[in-house]
Amino acid sequence: MSFFAGFFLALWAGVKQIFKHRYTLRYPEQKLDIFMINNQKSGGYEFDAKKQVGTAGFKGRHILYMDKCTGCSLCAIACEGIADCIDMVKVDKSFVQNKKSQFPQIDYGRCVFCGFCVDACPFDCLFETPFYELATTDKRSLVYTPEMLNEYPQLKGEYVKFIPDKKSGAHHG
Amino acid sequence: MEVVDQEGRTLTFSIGPQHPGSGHFRLIVKVDGDFIVDVKPDPGYVHRGAEKMCEERTYIQNIPHLERPVIFDSSGILFPYVLAVEELLGVQAPPRAQYIRIIMAELNRIISHLYWLAIYGIFLGHSTMFMWPMGDRELFIDLAEAIGGTRVTFSYFVPGGVRNDLPPGFKERALKTFSYYEKRLEEYDKIFFSNPMFLKRTQGIGVLKREDAIRLGVTGPNLRASGISSDTRKDEPYSSYETIKWDIPVRKEGDCYARSMVRFQELFDSLNIMRQALDLIPEGSVKIPMRGQIKGKVGESFARTEAARGTMFYHIISDGATHPYRVKISVPSFRSLSAMPFLLKGNHLADMPAIYWGLDYWPVEADK
Repeated sequence: MSFFAGFFLALWAGVKQIFKHRYTLRYPEQKLDIFMINNQKSGGYEFDAKKQVGTAGFKGRHILYMDKCTGCSLCAIACEGIADCIDMVKVDKSFVQNKKSQFPQIDYGRCVFCGFCVDACPFDCLFETPFYELATTDKRSLVYTPEMLNEYPQLKGEYVKFIPDKKSGAHHG
Repeated sequence: MEVVDQEGRTLTFSIGPQHPGSGHFRLIVKVDGDFIVDVKPDPGYVHRGAEKMCEERTYIQNIPHLERPVIFDSSGILFPYVLAVEELLGVQAPPRAQYIRIIMAELNRIISHLYWLAIYGIFLGHSTMFMWPMGDRELFIDLAEAIGGTRVTFSYFVPGGVRNDLPPGFKERALKTFSYYEKRLEEYDKIFFSNPMFLKRTQGIGVLKREDAIRLGVTGPNLRASGISSDTRKDEPYSSYETIKWDIPVRKEGDCYARSMVRFQELFDSLNIMRQALDLIPEGSVKIPMRGQIKGKVGESFARTEAARGTMFYHIISDGATHPYRVKISVPSFRSLSAMPFLLKGNHLADMPAIYWGLDYWPVEADK
């Protein structure tokens, strides 16, 4: 191949892309739907304590089921050497299974979303959700109290699937 | 660039450490006109003490820390640690987990090589080659995300298997992506790897001969580009790699072009390996159930795997506690550091980016 033919082919390979589908995700309006294909209830990472195996899912903001949590603080111990982001705090309400009313509080300024706290929970009460938009202007608002973790996050926006297509190029839709 | 001293003909200055292109790393370069006379690499700016950190954390707590040095090859560099801990525990991962590990490690190899390719494109002044691999990398990140749950640091391998099974419908989605991407790789070849500009910048530049490659101890794609057919996946098969057939890409030239083409070929090979692994994957459990803290038996173990940059090695000594007594990490990037001054000497200063990034040196991995 001559010098100029090589240049021409390289240019042509680039120019051809003008006629192809783009695969840009218009993020705040559109979000990538990775885990909805699983047809799971939550789409987040869950762990079965009896079988000691997890379910594939996104490792995002946690969900804490306060009606199951016994305050054993195994999640906080699991986090100790990793991010030190879980603190056990006292809650005003009283619970039958949790006499001391001790629940985990998570500091998302430190959390690395490894999910080993979910693996450590023996009562299936701490899971992760596919919610990841935790950005805030106030550092202190990253500390999520047990009550905040108890509520399932609202997934807003349009979730689009990703389809790689051999002929026209990859696109969302 | 900071002028350190000026003596007669030569000029000594430092490139870095303020992120000259890839990571916090300094090269103290002595030039005579446009030619490099002497180079002193100055690593250590991102040293985190990973080995010492391991000694005060449990075997599981080490996992998120040990995959941080190379976040886009996070499963690849964690692989030998998990194998070494399994040897200490006297267990072996179930067959299904072994194949899932292959898929994850190869996905990470592609993600890592595409990152390298994107930066190599921008180092050689080819902006399109920065945009394309960075965009296509997202396809593989999405696949890895569907398995591991996060974009780059998955913490997915644990002693005794992997943390969760493949998501439903993964195989169809992966095969669609692979067939799309193979077509895309042909376009990469046209616009970059066959581009006369790329050939001029890399052919015959930074030649590392076979003997020098052995003497300086480089590993991985850099070694294979110097005509030595060495791949840990073939030489000492681990995690069911022995059931998978592929050819090790080897080139004789030993220049920047050969190193690039070996990595380019490895993209095809990784797709091929993953296709075979998806076909061969058996049903069954993915993890040996382990409750409570993991305690290794008294003794030592080591494991060697092929990460994206070369041979990754872990040596763990256990005294029977929940924490390892000593962990030694041998990383491939640190080995290419010894070849860097050898290759840079005598070249034009303008060829420095091509040689430096052609070695795929990653400062954070080398510093640990």
